[in-house]
Amino acid sequence: MEKILTHPVDELLASFSAASLPLSQALCISSHLERCAACHQKVQRLNGLGSELMQQLKPSPASSELKERMINRLDILTQETHARPQETHVSSVPRCLQQFIQTGYDKLPWRRVSPDIHNYELCRDSNGAKVELLRIKAGGSPTTHTHMGDEYTVILEGSFSDETGLYHQGDFLVRDARHKHTPVASQDRECICLAVTEGPIQFTGFFSRLLNPFVRRSYT
Amino acid sequence: MQKVAVNRDKTAFAELFDHYAPQIRAYSLAREPGADLVADDLTQDVMSRVWLKAGTYNADLANLNTWIFTLARNCRVDYLRRNSRHISNIDPSFIFDEMEDDNPGPFQLVNQTRAEDTVRTSLQKLPFEQSDVLTKIYLEGKTHQQTSIELKLPLGTVKSRVRLALKKLQVLVAR
Repeated sequence: MEKILTHPVDELLASFSAASLPLSQALCISSHLERCAACHQKVQRLNGLGSELMQQLKPSPASSELKERMINRLDILTQETHARPQETHVSSVPRCLQQFIQTGYDKLPWRRVSPDIHNYELCRDSNGAKVELLRIKAGGSPTTHTHMGDEYTVILEGSFSDETGLYHQGDFLVRDARHKHTPVASQDRECICLAVTEGPIQFTGFFSRLLNPFVRRSYT
Repeated sequence: MQKVAVNRDKTAFAELFDHYAPQIRAYSLAREPGADLVADDLTQDVMSRVWLKAGTYNADLANLNTWIFTLARNCRVDYLRRNSRHISNIDPSFIFDEMEDDNPGPFQLVNQTRAEDTVRTSLQKLPFEQSDVLTKIYLEGKTHQQTSIELKLPLGTVKSRVRLALKKLQVLVAR
């Protein structure tokens, strides 16, 4: 396997470790981490930082009633121990993507975008970001494009190059609206990427998300 | 912890509860001040996982505090997804849960405890503007963008403060 050259920056890994990233972006980071031991280790250290920060909070004592309820539930919990969902064995697909891809890339209902490129939309995030797979045939190139918002890309299979360099499996890239780029898949094999694009809808989602802390939610 | 994992010892579990429940509640309240019921629910979720997953906890991989933090974080993100008005089709358990079940690679066996001691002492010395940004991101669960709006700072400044803080804390320095 080629060496991974491009990684998420540290402050992005910190947000991942804090789970304060939109889930679509976290999905990209996670796909990268599964291939990158160095970043995986960084995240483990960052989790340690999270734990320190949590311990510095002023403790908020739990009621004795909550404790009693908890202890009484333990036996029920043990009985209910749910079997782990069966392991799927699609080794080439990152595990975090197996919630969308159960049978490998070839069986997906790919949609033709241009002669060189197919896409398959996995889902939309709550902020409107589009999460999709792009499949570029060997030597193929989508037309030059710019983005409305940031685009996160992780290479899952194959490699591609653009004006800035040559990227391989596991490489993680962020492109923003200022970038105009022309990716070209390598000649010898097709390239499959995970791409997350923030759409304009993001803003409505974003502002209303700001309201979330003020909306008290509870189970009652 | 051993007693909980192997002997299913409820007294030992109660001790863990006494120690961690107030921290978990505080963590929940940091994001949703005043939401006591949410904090109780999160505490129950996390402590249930502690009971059920005690056997998978690996002391070589993370110290107990860190393990509890990751469980609390995972439960909170899961809770937020279930209760969000903006439905995301992404299941966070595929992203976060899987990570902890990973076996450590040969070079992941870092000296976590020592690293955490260093972080603890240097956190105290961090300038407020840097620790504040970390608090917003880790405890209040805010994105860089939300943090920049709240603090009325350019996005780039937020990012560089995080970067500076990580550097000062030597979180990412290999030992």
